[in-house]
Amino acid sequence: MTNIADTKNAEALAAANKVSDYEWGFSSDIEQEFAPKGLSEDTVRFISAKKNEPEWMLDWRLKAYRYWLTMETPHWAKLNIPPIDYQDAYYYAAPKAKKQLGSLDEVDPEILRVYEKLGIPLEEQKMLAGVEGARKVAVDAVFDSVSVATTFRKELEEAGVIFRSISEAIREYPEQVKKWLGKVVPMHDNYFAALNCAVFSDGTFVYIPEGVRCPMELSTYFRINAENTGQFERTLIVADKGSYVSYLEGCTAPMRDENQLHAAVVELVILDDAEIKYSTVQNWYPGDAEGKGGIYNFVTKRALCQGKNSKVSWTQVETGSAVTWKYPSCVLNGENSVGEFYSVAVTNNHQQADTGTKMIHNGKNSRSTIVSKGISAGKSNGTYRGLVKVAANADGVRNFTQCDSLLLGDQCGAHTVPYIEVKNPTAQIEHEATTSKISDDQLFYAMQRGLDQESAVALIVNGFAKEVLQQLPMEFAVEAQKLLGISLEGSVG
Amino acid sequence: MTTLPTRRDEAWRYADIDAVARLWPLAAPERINVAAGDTAARHLIVDAAQGATEIRQFAINLDKGAKFDFHVLALGGAYGRIELDVILHEGADFNLGGVILGNDDQILEIVTTVNHVEPGATSRQTIRAVMADKATGTYLGKVAVARGAQHTDSVQSFKAMLLGRAATANAKPELEIYADDVKCAHGAAIGELDAMGLFYLESRGLTPADAKRLMLQAFVAGVFDGAEAEEELQAAALAKLGELV
Amino acid sequence: MEFLSKDQLVKMLNINNLHTAIGDKEILKGLSLKINAGEIHAIMGPNGAGKSTLTYTLGGRPGYEVTSGAVEFDGQDLLTLAPHERAAAGLFLGFQYPVEIPGVSNVQFLREALNAQRKLRGEAPLSGGEFLKVARAQADAMGMNMDMLKRPVNVGFSGGEKKRNEMVQMGILDPKLAILDETDSGLDIDALRVVGEGINRVMRKPDKAVLLITHYQRLLDYVQPDFVHVLAAGRIVKSGGPELALELEREGYAEIAA
Repeated sequence: MTNIADTKNAEALAAANKVSDYEWGFSSDIEQEFAPKGLSEDTVRFISAKKNEPEWMLDWRLKAYRYWLTMETPHWAKLNIPPIDYQDAYYYAAPKAKKQLGSLDEVDPEILRVYEKLGIPLEEQKMLAGVEGARKVAVDAVFDSVSVATTFRKELEEAGVIFRSISEAIREYPEQVKKWLGKVVPMHDNYFAALNCAVFSDGTFVYIPEGVRCPMELSTYFRINAENTGQFERTLIVADKGSYVSYLEGCTAPMRDENQLHAAVVELVILDDAEIKYSTVQNWYPGDAEGKGGIYNFVTKRALCQGKNSKVSWTQVETGSAVTWKYPSCVLNGENSVGEFYSVAVTNNHQQADTGTKMIHNGKNSRSTIVSKGISAGKSNGTYRGLVKVAANADGVRNFTQCDSLLLGDQCGAHTVPYIEVKNPTAQIEHEATTSKISDDQLFYAMQRGLDQESAVALIVNGFAKEVLQQLPMEFAVEAQKLLGISLEGSVG
Repeated sequence: MTTLPTRRDEAWRYADIDAVARLWPLAAPERINVAAGDTAARHLIVDAAQGATEIRQFAINLDKGAKFDFHVLALGGAYGRIELDVILHEGADFNLGGVILGNDDQILEIVTTVNHVEPGATSRQTIRAVMADKATGTYLGKVAVARGAQHTDSVQSFKAMLLGRAATANAKPELEIYADDVKCAHGAAIGELDAMGLFYLESRGLTPADAKRLMLQAFVAGVFDGAEAEEELQAAALAKLGELV
Repeated sequence: MEFLSKDQLVKMLNINNLHTAIGDKEILKGLSLKINAGEIHAIMGPNGAGKSTLTYTLGGRPGYEVTSGAVEFDGQDLLTLAPHERAAAGLFLGFQYPVEIPGVSNVQFLREALNAQRKLRGEAPLSGGEFLKVARAQADAMGMNMDMLKRPVNVGFSGGEKKRNEMVQMGILDPKLAILDETDSGLDIDALRVVGEGINRVMRKPDKAVLLITHYQRLLDYVQPDFVHVLAAGRIVKSGGPELALELEREGYAEIAA
């Protein structure tokens, strides 16, 4: 194992040295420990053992693995992906076990440097540095596959909030985890979800007790750091009755020549009168201008609005990854429950994104809103794929969907595949879609006022995406606006 | 298509596959070609006998500058399907007006693929569905704009009214766009009759049934305006609407 | 038509202790009001007093639930009737926001409505020609172009045109009692005069009555009410003659309703 790790680290270092034009494309020199390459029951057992998991967890993983063997890769998305050799990847990489950390000071300085390069917002840097009076954002840092540090655990604990890596939670709160794990996204839900169930390495567990408004925004930074290491994060957030939490997820990935596989699962459970706001900015390495490299991102995100008056709001800004396959969805079982999906998806060069949402209305008077803004440039393809479904017993359902596409250049593609299935006569479903380009008049006008072309494009694109961006928490909104501009550099002119 | 479709085929997702199987293999689609600069119109009423299945497939080609109006009304049979595959060359204009009226256990579908393969073509699809009892009405519409088919102008509009507790409406107004200087809009709305409108009519003395019928009539009427055989289509639609209310 | 002296009053509308709720919220809280044939009443009140709720309750709009009380209209129990039966019985609602009905022409709509009412009353339906004659006369009287009557109901009409259209409809349907909800809102001074004259022409007759529901006094300059009532918090808190409207205009609702 150690030998492989050493070899890999040497390679990683070499790769890092080659990095040039991807701002965040660097590799960190941190000691790794790898599971054997390839996927088998032994890999699953290795991961489970590494994490000191109870037997029920291992059984659950093995069951999922056996499901996965019988399943096929979904073929319906508008994505052109070369076959993935699942035996040619590593399924577990962890920084070598160090003693339990008492405070951030004890975090490997290399990791802190990584955060810095990642451009973690200043406020959070201050938090990480322990500066007094900074706005509170708790960071459960997922470095590769293992959580290495958690801030503000104490204050959260005082509020009764459980904020743990999922491995810890499985050991410390087995009943809580067992109750909901796989209940929102069943292990046989889809190919990638089954894969995640079998080999997920770490992730986050959050529980907000009844009536508690989480005292700070929760944030997890994901990094993919080891060459050829799939990232299989697992997130489970449970909002008990009358509680509220805002969860921020942001991602960057270092540069790699080979495509990297990512198959995360996020499950949200929302009980009576509770609300979860889940925001994502995803800017993983999209591959180079020729379409070489980049992350394969197959994510299953789903929220179960189980309680009456429960609410979930997904906001995503997707600018990265070579391939995105992602449909954050809402199962609206509760009476008067509310589901929202706000999305900006940018594709450039050879990127492909097939993303959207499902709104499953089972509860009476449940309401949903979908706002999707797709921006395609270069030779990329962006697809919105959605489903709005109203069950026969769900009276008084309302949905409004707005799907807009912006095309930059004549070599890209923008596609919209909205399914609507309504079985109740009292439903009111509205869907609107438009397709546009940046007009020469707009560009000229902005440039005449003094903007260069790229700033003008960024300005117009940000205007196009404004409805979604303004759903983001402030520090994310700023980062996201910059990202839109960066992602589209060189796409016009 | 040479093998029997399954529900995993997106274009057959809501179909009555058993009914399709009974007719399988289907005859080749009817070909309609409108020569460059020509104008043509056509109408079709799918009104199979009770319990019967009717599948009508068309392969339509519009040459440069051709114009074609197609008006369809699906109202009869246990399973009725109208499927159009349309190719639009430069500057061609295609207009589809479709109405789906179903009751009992009927499954009625309009499935279209409109391919804008060259620049400057326009297409407009207006579909209205009224479904009562346990009927299912489906519109699967795809507008595909090929690379280079600049100045495409396309509109898809689907609206459905459900009258029964067990009625279903499905829609998929799909866009596949590979050109940037295009106008492609689609809209879909599913709902029930506007309660305020009904009350307004009733407050003027119309019975609830008449108010409903009048509103539904207005809901579908515009689709056939100016159609070839407008009166025949309107009359058939009206008669069926009378059954639904 | 016989003229009736004061001691021969014919009761048109008798609202007794009316309570109306929308959902769980009670809006009308024991409203009582009597209107006799030949009378014009005005109900004035601040926003939120329950003016529109009263209109809709009398018209039978779904969702306006009468929790207690009684309403007698022309000798019948109004509350047991469906909206269209109320219309056939001679009740007309002038909507504050007349509804747009795309695709349905005014002419088609009104002819169907009038004939449905006539049928319920056991009268013979009007032929197309007969109806058009009536419609044209009423449109002319309101200064409305026949082209507008052929257009879809209220679609694309300005606020003033919608109100004028309501008056044309009232003329054609020729009700016994007209309840006119904020008919003056959105009208300029000329339109206000036309609408006021329309109300007088059609409704100021010994066998008819009008209930004007309004926030302002200005329509009352054109349609002189016999009685003015102040509605506040779901009930009539004060009644008087025309002078009460002027007093309200001068003093404001807070003063009078207190």
